Amino acid sequence: MTRTSLLARISESRVWRSFFRHGWPDNPLDRSLVMTSNVFLHLHPVKVSRKSLHWAYSFGLGVISAILFAVLVWTGVLLMFYYVPSVERAYSTMKEIQLSVPLGQFTRDMHRWAAHAMVLVVILHMARVFYTGAYKPPREFNWLIGVALLLFTLGASFTGYLLPWDQLAYWAITVGTNIAGYAPVAGPAARQMLLGGGEVGQNSLLRFYTLHIAILPLLITLFVSVHLWRVRKDGGLAANDQRAASSEH
Amino acid sequence: MADHQGSSMANQTPITDEIFPKHTSKTYALVELVRGESAMVDKGPDDTLFAFPSVLLREIVLFLGVTLAIFLFSLVKHAPLEEIANPFVTTDPAKAPWYFLGLQELLEHMHPLLAGVIIPAVLVLFLVVLPYIDRSSAEAGVWFGSARDKQIVAWTALYTLFVMSAYVVLDNAFSLRELLRAGAPQWVAQGLLPGGILALLVALPAFALRQRQTTTHQIMLVLFTVMLVSAVVFTVSGFLFRGPGFKLYWPWQMPGGYNPWDGL
Repeated sequence: MTRTSLLARISESRVWRSFFRHGWPDNPLDRSLVMTSNVFLHLHPVKVSRKSLHWAYSFGLGVISAILFAVLVWTGVLLMFYYVPSVERAYSTMKEIQLSVPLGQFTRDMHRWAAHAMVLVVILHMARVFYTGAYKPPREFNWLIGVALLLFTLGASFTGYLLPWDQLAYWAITVGTNIAGYAPVAGPAARQMLLGGGEVGQNSLLRFYTLHIAILPLLITLFVSVHLWRVRKDGGLAANDQRAASSEH
Repeated sequence: MADHQGSSMANQTPITDEIFPKHTSKTYALVELVRGESAMVDKGPDDTLFAFPSVLLREIVLFLGVTLAIFLFSLVKHAPLEEIANPFVTTDPAKAPWYFLGLQELLEHMHPLLAGVIIPAVLVLFLVVLPYIDRSSAEAGVWFGSARDKQIVAWTALYTLFVMSAYVVLDNAFSLRELLRAGAPQWVAQGLLPGGILALLVALPAFALRQRQTTTHQIMLVLFTVMLVSAVVFTVSGFLFRGPGFKLYWPWQMPGGYNPWDGL
């Protein structure tokens, strides 16, 4: 049996067909169906312009942010198996992760560096979108989603910063939340609500933990889904909009 | 043969088949009329690829590359873990995470209400209203748009790099806050004056452009570039040049063995 006929037999079998709603993707129809019939892939367009794929156009910054987020979810879930968000135990579980959990130190390192990288890459992504004019009609709303995602990313990083419960964490969060407390009227109340008290303590650790592992990642997942979907609905990357560039220059 | 068939059929066929001919020798036909603007209207010839596998392959390569980079970096440098948190022992310097160090740097120069609340609020507001102010769809999808836009961005970046660094150094050497402590009320010395100076520095390049023919987009290019480069200047200053007591030092001359990179 030749290789192609074997592939054809597999991709036409009843089992394969129950998993995937399309045939072997060696023709335009099945290549479209790969993207449109899969819940995860359907956020992509079926076809993209050759120009929008040029590396020097987007530098892949949006995709890199999403990849870093995936790395953070993966390593973060692994860390959750050992970390305990209590003032008495947080620091000792950190030590435990680093000293006795297999690959614990390595997992934590990857989580830390991916987090810093994500903040940086998201900011670079915003700069790229701005300097390519990709916030202009019809993409204004997706720019707003992007601004929200930038703030969520900062929030996710900031709330994670407290969790090791070492001096670095404690004083960084104290300094950071003091800044928020200067806002008139709502400032002290907002700081009180975020910290769950007058200063950084057990309530703050639990609140930051909940924000860090549940609320912000869920918000980011939701907003990234809308963000990607809107990229497709608004006509793909702005590199497709060659009307202006070709007529004016 | 084909001609003969086509003409004989046209005599008997209903009008819809004339509009949507099925059996002509033509290789094209009018299929449907649609109203409105589609994503591809005015976009020129369709130069597209299937996302499968072109996009998917690139994403997989990026995924492997990014993961490998983080992987290798983690092998070289460990995440920091200092002594257990102690509310009674303040670290010196006490710094916020690096992305908030621009704000912490601003706190050294002005009232906390201005540095910590008003300026960040204005920045976020600027980002939110930006696409609704600059509504021209010209020049979307091209880096920096025109050659003139590129020049504007480059000069604005250079200007901002210079004036904001100068502001940090000069205000550190001759602190407005200290000079005016006795002579002026706090809201002038720490609010109005530094706020006014910053607003002037931001408005200056935009104002210089208004003398010539300038589009809204170019004003936005100036404002965004000032914001981005200022953020970089203040963040680098707060992260790399602030040592014990949050005083300015050369990064290689930090007293007490303090290494700014340990706080990442």
